[in-house]
Amino acid sequence: MTDTSRPPLSLYIHVPWCVRKCPYCDFNSHALTGDLPEGAYRHALLEDLQEDLGGVDNRPIDTVFIGGGTPSLMSADFYHCLFDGLREHLTLAPDAEITLEANPGTLEQGRFRGFREAGINRLSIGVQSFQASHLEVLGRIHDADAARRAMDEARAAGFERFNVDLMHGLPDQTVNDAIADLHTAMAHEPPHISWYQLTLEPNTAFYSAPPRLPDEETLAAIADAGAETLSGSGYRPYEVSAWSRDGDIARHNLNYWQFGDYLALGAGAHGKITFPNGDIRRYWKTRQPEAYLNRLGSRTAGQSTIEPSERPLEFLMNALRLTDGVEEALFEARTGVPLSSIQDELTALRQEGLLTPDRLQTTPMGQRYLDSILQRFLGD
Amino acid sequence: MTELSHIRNFSIIAHIDHGKSTLADRFIQLCGGLTDREMAEQVLDSMDLERERGITIKAQSVTLRYKARDGEEYKLNLIDTPGHVDFSYEVSRSLFACEGALLVVDAGQGVEAQSVANCYTAIDQGLEVVPVLNKMDLPQAEPDRVSQEIEDVIGIEATEAVRCSAKNGEGVEDVLEELIRLVPPPQGDTEGPLQALIIDSWFDNYLGVVSLVRIRQGTLKQGDKILIKSTGRPWTAEKVGIFTPKPTETGELGTGEVGFIIAGIKDIHGAPVGDTITYQKTPDTEMVPGFKNVQPQVYAGLFPVSSEDYEAFRDALDKLTLNDASLFFEPENSDALGFGFRCGFLGMLHMEIVQERLEREYGIDLITTAPTVIYEVVTTDGELQEVSNPSYLPETASVEEMREPIVEASILVPQEYIGNVIALCEERRGVQTNMTFLSTQVQLTYELPMAEVVLDFFDRVKSASRGFASLDYHFKRFQASNLVKLDVLINGERVDALALIVHRDQAEYRGRAVIEKMKELIPRQMFDIAIQAAIGNHVIARSTVKALRKNVTAKCYGGDVSRKKKLLQKQKEGKKRMKSLGKVDVPQEAFLAVLRVDDK
Repeated sequence: MTDTSRPPLSLYIHVPWCVRKCPYCDFNSHALTGDLPEGAYRHALLEDLQEDLGGVDNRPIDTVFIGGGTPSLMSADFYHCLFDGLREHLTLAPDAEITLEANPGTLEQGRFRGFREAGINRLSIGVQSFQASHLEVLGRIHDADAARRAMDEARAAGFERFNVDLMHGLPDQTVNDAIADLHTAMAHEPPHISWYQLTLEPNTAFYSAPPRLPDEETLAAIADAGAETLSGSGYRPYEVSAWSRDGDIARHNLNYWQFGDYLALGAGAHGKITFPNGDIRRYWKTRQPEAYLNRLGSRTAGQSTIEPSERPLEFLMNALRLTDGVEEALFEARTGVPLSSIQDELTALRQEGLLTPDRLQTTPMGQRYLDSILQRFLGD
Repeated sequence: MTELSHIRNFSIIAHIDHGKSTLADRFIQLCGGLTDREMAEQVLDSMDLERERGITIKAQSVTLRYKARDGEEYKLNLIDTPGHVDFSYEVSRSLFACEGALLVVDAGQGVEAQSVANCYTAIDQGLEVVPVLNKMDLPQAEPDRVSQEIEDVIGIEATEAVRCSAKNGEGVEDVLEELIRLVPPPQGDTEGPLQALIIDSWFDNYLGVVSLVRIRQGTLKQGDKILIKSTGRPWTAEKVGIFTPKPTETGELGTGEVGFIIAGIKDIHGAPVGDTITYQKTPDTEMVPGFKNVQPQVYAGLFPVSSEDYEAFRDALDKLTLNDASLFFEPENSDALGFGFRCGFLGMLHMEIVQERLEREYGIDLITTAPTVIYEVVTTDGELQEVSNPSYLPETASVEEMREPIVEASILVPQEYIGNVIALCEERRGVQTNMTFLSTQVQLTYELPMAEVVLDFFDRVKSASRGFASLDYHFKRFQASNLVKLDVLINGERVDALALIVHRDQAEYRGRAVIEKMKELIPRQMFDIAIQAAIGNHVIARSTVKALRKNVTAKCYGGDVSRKKKLLQKQKEGKKRMKSLGKVDVPQEAFLAVLRVDDK
């Protein structure tokens, strides 16, 4: 009964270490110095889980995503033991999607096979580009050859489901460069491609010393040509930057975009929980790996309630990213706020041709101007 | 009370950077008005804005006690004058309180036009003008040449002019000695009924209206039952005193003296500048011949960005006029901008200062429309209308004749820049009426349309002469002219707040320039935005702001939400400062595009 009224529950696990920090990355990542504290981190994660159990409320975990940082730095054994530990307190659904972010620069013989055997059933490979000059600008630790091998290895290790992360709009990138990257990736037939435009995020090296990006005309041409290339090879966009073949969408991300719930484990991880009384809360874990490991105080660094007045925006920020949007009924089911509270804005946006008539869904034009749409739902 | 023979009332006439404030500071220091610690720099410019811009807007006074070389102590009343052409009327007002004026000239740069104009005003009002050559410490000082120039341009004896450096203090005492020697003491019947001229009034939040007065006759004492002549209203003199420059109560002001009176008046219009104060028991005392009320020269519409601010905006304007009788306002309703006020200003600087005060002190976000001068329109049925708002211009068919205000401008410019300045005047439709060669400068007189002068002419003259030329102007007459209304259309809709009145010959050029500037200022949006300039139905310039390609965050996952929300918030903050015209968001600056056409 609670299963129909409560949102599905996912689990996000953050591994904060990287070989080095990339200049565009605004995630909680820290260059690794010394040995990876695998045992201590696993212990910390399982201890941390205790702080989150109150939000589970008998729900099974439908999806797990292990992001970073560079989670593929950790050994298969680390994950094996971690999952064993998690299962003592959580029910992983039998068909749970378990995704690991893998860096092609951490590829060692047999590593992917080990991950697969540990129960991970999907990989997200951070390729970003296949061109040496672009990989260098992005500060990646791998080369094009490693990226190609990573995809082959994934398949060979038994990962039928894997994603390739590619960026476009890179410094000095031409349309041809971008399309060549897509073709190289598609030659390995990944079921899922995340194709992002590079954004200069605050608190990154790129933000403080911005690289010269292609002009707006080139960016537009890259976006158009890329969409055509992907569609021509059977990929369909189901979200602003996410393309999949044969409906092989990332279920974990879909849960974010459908305003589902997720637990947060690991340094700097963010979670969201809907409580049976209708409260919706976001919370986040302490960012510094050292503090997290040594539990200097509570690992939960902060939390905030999403007030009913903020929920329409938070819901739509996510749901409208989906190409097909969501059914109108999901709005009230997930936010607890009646749809009528945003009816005026919806009507106006529909009249302007930015939203489709019967769903919470952008038109193709609305998709392009999503931020402008969302601003209408911001309070003053 | 000080004997009349030991009082001197004087002003300082000086160009904006010729060192007037520094000299005034030296006087105050010399006479011990303030301790060094109290001596904030340039104490006379009290308003923050004035201090920031280095100019004086309101008249201020300070009473100095100076022990002269003849062994006698004199009471010197310095009535400060504003240093910007916008506020020249304030100068004449200050001069009414004086018997003399120091003409302070930069010994390196020579005389400049506004000082000349102010000197003429002083001489017209019967004041003794005492020339002072300042900045003698500078290596480029040429006192002999500048003395000659003073004699040539102003026609007063200057070979013996005092030389000083306000900066290092040298010669400053000599200036005061000259002042005592040359400026006559005030005259008046010390026993007669009170006759006090209001030189200035301002509103103080704690004290109410404070008036600066010059006693022409009789004595004003604390507790006196007084009468404001023009209003006929009785008051009691609650506080009477002088500025040293700190306000200091003395309990009375005698004939010839300058000081303040506070009488519990709550509204500046209750103590109008130029009015006369007398006793209630002597209501028939004559008015001191005052000065005429000043008329605004430049009008612009001011609209709150958020319509909710309208009432607060009205209150703020009310408060500003408490202290600024030259600020005029009346309600205006624009199709594009909603409810606001049409405001009249003395000039562009005045407008900027008012705008800044409204935004800074009262926190009101404003959209200002392009400033315009007053035009006269004769309609076909013979009626004469004054138009200070282009959108209220009668239909072309019913206009018989349009007249624009013409000013007489006097420009003093070093010879090497005369070509530039003449070219500029010609470009601004000027007609030369006189040209006089002085020792190194040339005095040019032009008749120019006021509309060509008020906006940026002063800055242009300056940049055409590397800052050396100076300008003064005054209204001369209205003159028939071939004027048209230039409309701006955004996505086919005429925007009333963007309309301009321009000369027919300049319409195409101005239209193109405004459109191009607007194109730069209006951000790209979800659709193409067509901007057109038109005269009647005839489009003379057009441009397009191409649609934004997209505006969407590339990625957003579970942990990103609050960061992405902040980004949206930031984008929205930017939009808040814009006005929606139909579907188009137009930033505040675009309404002033006409002023920016020459910015590069």
